[in-house]
Amino acid sequence: MKILTSNILQISPSEVIDRIPDSYNNFVIPFVIGITFIILYLSIGLIRIIYHLEKEERITLLKSLFKPKIIIKNIKDIFNDCLIHTKIWKRKPLLGYMHSSIAFGWFLLIVLGHIEVALFVPKHLSISEGSLFYPIFYRFFVWVNPEHVTLRGYFFFFLMDFVLLYILSGVALAMFKRVRSLALGMRHTTKPSLADRFALYSLWAIFPLRLLAESFTADLSGGSFLTIPMNYIFHNFFGNSLNFMPTWWLYSTCLGIFFLAMPFSRYMHILTEPLLIVFRNAGLKVTKPRVGFAEAEIYACSSCGLCIDACPMNVKKKNLKFSSVYFIRFLRRHNTKKINAIANKCLLCGKCFALCPVGIDSPSIRVAQRKTNHNKYEYNYNQINYSSIPKQSKTLYFAGCMTQLTPVILNSLENIFKQAGEDYTILDKDEVICCGRPLMLSGREEAAKELINKNKKIIQESGCNKLILSCPICYKIFKEEYHLKNIEVLHYSQYINSLLENNIIQVKKEDKKIVYHDPCDLGRGSGIYEEPRNVLKSIGELVKADKEREENICCGGSLGSLTLEQKDRNIITEGAISSLMANHPDTIVTACPLCYKTIRNNSPIDVEDLSEIISRNIIKK
Amino acid sequence: MKKNVLIIGGGPSGLEAATILKKFNYNVILVERSSILGGHLAKWDRLFPYMEPAKETLDVLLSNIDGITIFKDTEVNSINLLDKSYNVILSNGITILADALLITTGFDLFQAEKKEEYGYGIYEKVITSAELEEYFKTLNNNKIDNPKKIGFVHCVGSRDEKAANRACSKVCCATAVKQACEIKEKYPDADVYCFYMDLRMFGRGYEDLYLKAQKDYAIRFIRGRVSEVSEDINKSLVIKAEDTLSSKPIRVTLDLLVLMSGMRPSSGGEKIKKMLNLMTEDDGFFSTKDSIYSLQHSKLAGLFYAGAATGPKTLPDSLHEARSAAIQIHNYLNN
Amino acid sequence: MIEFGFGISPSSRINLDDFDKEKWNKLVQIEPEILQCISCGSCCASCSGGVFQNVSLRSAILNIRNGKTDSAMELLKGCMLCGKCTMVCPRNINTRNLILSIYKTYSEK
Repeated sequence: MKILTSNILQISPSEVIDRIPDSYNNFVIPFVIGITFIILYLSIGLIRIIYHLEKEERITLLKSLFKPKIIIKNIKDIFNDCLIHTKIWKRKPLLGYMHSSIAFGWFLLIVLGHIEVALFVPKHLSISEGSLFYPIFYRFFVWVNPEHVTLRGYFFFFLMDFVLLYILSGVALAMFKRVRSLALGMRHTTKPSLADRFALYSLWAIFPLRLLAESFTADLSGGSFLTIPMNYIFHNFFGNSLNFMPTWWLYSTCLGIFFLAMPFSRYMHILTEPLLIVFRNAGLKVTKPRVGFAEAEIYACSSCGLCIDACPMNVKKKNLKFSSVYFIRFLRRHNTKKINAIANKCLLCGKCFALCPVGIDSPSIRVAQRKTNHNKYEYNYNQINYSSIPKQSKTLYFAGCMTQLTPVILNSLENIFKQAGEDYTILDKDEVICCGRPLMLSGREEAAKELINKNKKIIQESGCNKLILSCPICYKIFKEEYHLKNIEVLHYSQYINSLLENNIIQVKKEDKKIVYHDPCDLGRGSGIYEEPRNVLKSIGELVKADKEREENICCGGSLGSLTLEQKDRNIITEGAISSLMANHPDTIVTACPLCYKTIRNNSPIDVEDLSEIISRNIIKK
Repeated sequence: MKKNVLIIGGGPSGLEAATILKKFNYNVILVERSSILGGHLAKWDRLFPYMEPAKETLDVLLSNIDGITIFKDTEVNSINLLDKSYNVILSNGITILADALLITTGFDLFQAEKKEEYGYGIYEKVITSAELEEYFKTLNNNKIDNPKKIGFVHCVGSRDEKAANRACSKVCCATAVKQACEIKEKYPDADVYCFYMDLRMFGRGYEDLYLKAQKDYAIRFIRGRVSEVSEDINKSLVIKAEDTLSSKPIRVTLDLLVLMSGMRPSSGGEKIKKMLNLMTEDDGFFSTKDSIYSLQHSKLAGLFYAGAATGPKTLPDSLHEARSAAIQIHNYLNN
Repeated sequence: MIEFGFGISPSSRINLDDFDKEKWNKLVQIEPEILQCISCGSCCASCSGGVFQNVSLRSAILNIRNGKTDSAMELLKGCMLCGKCTMVCPRNINTRNLILSIYKTYSEK
């Protein structure tokens, strides 16, 4: 080999020279097999997903690829979510560092490798000249003329070593995490499957092996602060280059194993997440539980297990197996029995979705799964019609079913309407047609749509321009599915907030510490966090809950769950209450009749509704 | 030297047991946290099933209390179990070394505002059975203003998992029928409805009371549990229930709604429970040593129960238990 | 046996022999809380759908137990699954899942 290199040296005086004849060595075979397999697998998967999309969905997807706004968003999201992992950084910096070092570092290695090839041996970028593997094993194939190395060359040597060190620090953290996941702020992590283990251990091995391999050849192909000293030690320690080939073989084999195990492991998300981002930014939604867009989501799950700690069912380590990560694992394995069990059990509080670093909408997959079971049953709403159209007034109030069980909310709101001089009508004082969301959540979409149409018709005929709702469950579906023309849809927390901001009503302060419980459908579901808090600040001192806003714990009363037993619900309620009690409030206030009832039944302190506390403190004109 | 027996709770059971234990020549100390003796009986007007004035029974109970040390407005601050006695410190600073303890802490009425769908505390014309009883005594309640239509809701906070009480409170059915008759006596023109799930008229004379309510007072009994109460524009109450016997939802407008609050373990009893780590059943009432033979015994030697501290009971039941407990305590102190 | 033609109009009597025990057991397996019903009528009293048309979980349960599953299914077709009955049931029956389970069990012929 030495003879060979010296021959080349004599012929070519350039900085970088192909060291190996044909620029090929058998050790690349495992890698080539792996990368070919994964590219094929991914392509077939992509075709499958697109095949299962509805025609309109395909058109939207195609159109989105040419819209500059969406293109920019795609690039931004892919950079933030797939490489830097901004979401994880925000929650747990150490975990964020671990992810971005491996993902972004590896990405840099590949890109830098290709840049080096492009700069120094550009002919190898063509497929016939080994572009599949050459840039990956660049350091094996080239000889760098020490006398002709430019500053540019040194720069890349340094950069490659630096990036490798960056990745290795992440790998070290990952190994540490396996041992002590608590140190990184996770109570529970997922149990890895067999394929996960194969992929995991090969992933761990890839970067140390790369370091070893490149260190062995550093004297030939260049290196920097990491590889050169190691090269020096190896050569002095072993006395020759005997271990040269085996390490490159091992490195290539580990890459091959990793790619072969990838589709059956959690690491598939590395490749599918960018696809998911493109689909999602195009505006696609989950319609079927296993195919189409849902499949992209299922394969984008990184099994990180953040949803295990997030799930309110796990407050007392009770139902770990009902978390989204296991749900998705069962979906991948087509385990229908378990899929249904989890789909039906879930509260659909949306916390796993809100916290998911990949942004997988698993609540929607659950609803889609329920739809496959429950949409087909017969229904008959022929006689369900309001007996009269409400009298013409500007503001229409829809109390909804649950508010009928909490007369205090109805009464308080009526008082507020009167004090505000509102020209209002209650649509459903005596008879109420359900908003349709409970049916929707149960997977009975068709039936829900019929109710939506009935309500929509009468609301539009009433001639109102403002619709006020007291139940967040109603609010969410009115906002998302009703598409009411020229009618402003408001949750009463928004309405009261605007009354206070515009000085239409005034309230007196109470000497009380108040904690606010975010109802799932109002907070995470509709993004309304500030208005109720603003309202409460005008009444008393607002204290924080242990977990609040998007991290708030469901009260346990959610209509989302079909099968959760009362005693398990009670455990969740206790969890939510203990989070609310963190800063010793005098009163718990919420803005949902269902949360109100659920928390009130279990709370050690006063529970009030937002409307109740305002109505009580309103200064009468 | 006379042995000390401490009775916690000055209701009918406590008073009756105290009287008998005094006759057995013990030094009896009775602690009552309120300022009135007689417990719930003192607030009642007439008793089912024969409409005897509650005051007569109360007077009998109070006529024999001479020689009993009674601390009113006093609570138990701590209890320590010593070798064969209990060291009890009271809120008035007095310490008692009791050779036997009798717990007659009775019950509290279920807080009707917890069933918010019934609108107690929200609607003016919704009252509890206790308020109605007080009205019969004093004839003074501005919520009761010549009502034309009156409803009684049975099982408020009883037989209701949502109110965390699966058990029957035993006395509310008979009380409701009694009060229905009484209000009809006051307002003969009124229509009176009783909404019930099951009518549990188990005692002697109860069925006669029921018959009288049907025959003499024309009370309308509707088998269905009220689920919601709302108010119409005229501030009348609108009641929603189902007439399960005709399988139709029912809606009726009322001027007065009476909620038959059930029995919950008393808050005083809960305090004692914590002091001695006493056992309670799922329903929250104290566990007795067994469920048939030793109803007055606890698992602790020298600690006894009587009355509604161990679950809902009628007044005669409680008095029986008080007498039984007195005898058991006597046996215990002489062995 | 000689038929005298008295059986032309169907009997209004409940015939407990018509009770389909096999399906009932299946239903009980998926939602055992059906056994807890005390027919108090709370569910129907608060039913949003029952205001407009004949919807009754309480009657549906009785109908199933009496072998009249078709009438039971009719009584549940107007259900909007709003969940009010779950909120008021004194026996904590998971009524929404019970209704879905009845659909599931008795819509398969």
